[in-house]
Amino acid sequence: MSEIRQIAIYGKGGIGKSTTTQNLTAGLVEHGKKVMVVGCDPKADSTRLLLGGLAQKTVLDTIREEGEDVALDRILKEGFGGTRCVESGGPEPGVGCAGRGIITSINMLENLGAYTDDLDYVFYDVLGDVVCGGFAMPIREGKAKEIYIVASGEMMALYAANNISKGIQRYARSGGVRLGGIICNSRNVDRELDLLRAFSKELGTKLLYFVPRDNVVQHAEINKKTVIEYSPNSNQAQEYRNLAQAVIENTDFVIPTPMTQERLEEILMEYGMMELADDYKI
Amino acid sequence: MAINLSNSNIATRENRIGSITGYVGTLKDLATQSSCGTLKGCSRCFSQSSTCLSSCGLSQLAAIRDVAVIHHGPAGCSVTGASAYYMSKVMAKKRGVTSDTVYIGTDMNENDTIFGSTETLRKVILEVNKRYSPKAIFVSSSCATGIIGEDIDSIVEDVKEEVSVPIVAVHCEGFKSRIWATGFDIADHAVMQEIVQPPREGVVSNKINFKNFFESARPEIIEIFKNFDLEPVFLYCNSTVEELSHISESLATTCICGTLGNYLGNALEEKYGVPYIRSINQCGIKGFETWLREIGKVTGRSEKVEAYIASEREKYLPQIEEVKKELKGLTAVLGMGPGYTFEVSRVLDELGIKVVWALAWHYDKKYENGDVPPSMKYLLDNDINFETSVSDQQNYEVMNILNKYKPDMYLSRHPGSTVWAIKNGTPAIYVADEYMIFGYKHTLEFAKSILDAVKNRSFEENLARRSKLPYTDWWYKQNVDTFFEEAK
Repeated sequence: MSEIRQIAIYGKGGIGKSTTTQNLTAGLVEHGKKVMVVGCDPKADSTRLLLGGLAQKTVLDTIREEGEDVALDRILKEGFGGTRCVESGGPEPGVGCAGRGIITSINMLENLGAYTDDLDYVFYDVLGDVVCGGFAMPIREGKAKEIYIVASGEMMALYAANNISKGIQRYARSGGVRLGGIICNSRNVDRELDLLRAFSKELGTKLLYFVPRDNVVQHAEINKKTVIEYSPNSNQAQEYRNLAQAVIENTDFVIPTPMTQERLEEILMEYGMMELADDYKI
Repeated sequence: MAINLSNSNIATRENRIGSITGYVGTLKDLATQSSCGTLKGCSRCFSQSSTCLSSCGLSQLAAIRDVAVIHHGPAGCSVTGASAYYMSKVMAKKRGVTSDTVYIGTDMNENDTIFGSTETLRKVILEVNKRYSPKAIFVSSSCATGIIGEDIDSIVEDVKEEVSVPIVAVHCEGFKSRIWATGFDIADHAVMQEIVQPPREGVVSNKINFKNFFESARPEIIEIFKNFDLEPVFLYCNSTVEELSHISESLATTCICGTLGNYLGNALEEKYGVPYIRSINQCGIKGFETWLREIGKVTGRSEKVEAYIASEREKYLPQIEEVKKELKGLTAVLGMGPGYTFEVSRVLDELGIKVVWALAWHYDKKYENGDVPPSMKYLLDNDINFETSVSDQQNYEVMNILNKYKPDMYLSRHPGSTVWAIKNGTPAIYVADEYMIFGYKHTLEFAKSILDAVKNRSFEENLARRSKLPYTDWWYKQNVDTFFEEAK
């Protein structure tokens, strides 16, 4: 039995981490892989597409209401293709400490024996930027060893990806965590592919996959389904299958080399604008 | 610096008055650098434990009679409750009064840190109010509630409608300052915010606020002040909320220790115009006389003060001079809070004892009004200089100095510190009681205590022979600032 590949997905808020993770998971399931998805966001919406809705009771709500003597099946729900879905959950906005919540709920999952030997993959879908120690929990203490950052050609997405790399670098020194690559969730901005390639290279990693923009993703989301389930024959479904294949085959794991603000801006200047001179030809 | 009573959260000593916890040099250099603004503190790459500002601040408040301190945090944070409870009972008993002060922890658990527990806090406040009917309620944060940003201010505001006594939020996160005396300021700030009321119309007072720790010399000071038709109000140990509400009416505020009283004194002066006595403190002859004269000046009682000084001098000075003969030429090292370090240094100088090194646990560059602390100024004006360090209660630094200088005595105000010196073979004097060197009478007693300690050294010698301390010879050969990190 090979070791479970535990993967954390980070990226700027709203970049499409949850959508990408769930579609990627669906792709892996089609390859016959056994996957668990752990949502690490107080909004608890990381498994909606796999479960067909927000029917999930979160780990933290369960602990709060029922105490710590919880049976695993109270918090673990089966979703699309037999994926196991868990939502960490968290406090209401503006109170308490969501970071601490992630620490507690991941420990709880371990204690309850959620990490069974038959799993091939565990995904942690983590809220936004690395905001505090709690949100780095999945990459601490040898939990997730592989990280993918979801980004796009938009400036703030790259800023965030660079910042997240700083967090990875910190924990890479003591633990075994490595960056597996950048996944581009395209926003159709100028020269996006070139920009993402150059950015990834500068970080010392690679652009793992470029997911094009397609409206079917929106349709599938409205229908609470992954694209692979909603429209299995669409081009986009194939893109996600390819992404899954890229993850399966990936063996390049690096300690990232985050760049200075100045260097990041240089790359943006170099690749981020198309034929600027043309705009002024009047 | 203006004191802002509209915000419950006050800045730390480090931020407000540039206090530091690491320095090695001389008294002159320390003072010169403080006044010209170049003084930078050092941190340490190795540190033994020190004291938490929260226990300092909250035990001040819990010493007030018939109040409730509600410590919002995990059970361990409320550990101060045990000693605060004991202290308040013992001190009340000693004075012959009763105190029904309670110290309650909210026993925050893991879920509370995730989801917040302001609702629990609200229930605890209301229950404590119902069950104990305290005269005032202090609601304190802890490190845990500070980190998760628990909004204790809003809860305190909310319950004001249901609680008829003063209630105030006290921000006591231990991590925010290395300097425990920040806790004194936090306690003063809370008292100023909600307990102290504006002076009543037409009240003519002969009272003088006296900020101290445990009021051990209370009867004696009451007697002394009768000579000047003044009545001391001792704060906060055994104070009542009623008494505290009227301290804005007093003629002046004074304190036994500048580190302890500086914030309250300045706040009362700034807000209500109550003059704060900023002299050197009452330790020793010079200190006592300077302090009395300042009170005489501020309250218009100089004549009475002079008469008192004259009669007391006659009684005690010859006796003190007699003991001084035997003390001349002895050497001393001190380790105390910054208030006492420089006050006691002055007294030792007065008694003919040479201070070879003074360790102040922290150092306040200036006081709330922006002046260099008076005890420092006095030493400089009188050309007294010695080696000085700011040592954050680091015992290994004390031991390093004691081994290098092998003084005739070590004086400290903190429990445990003197025990180490004794095990090292150094005679030690534990200046525990804040009134141990107060005025003529106690200066004489203090001089005699020193003489006793240095004359018969068999206790120290025997104990040292049988004790093995954990520090290595290597450490004793190092400079005391070996573990200092560059000044920031």
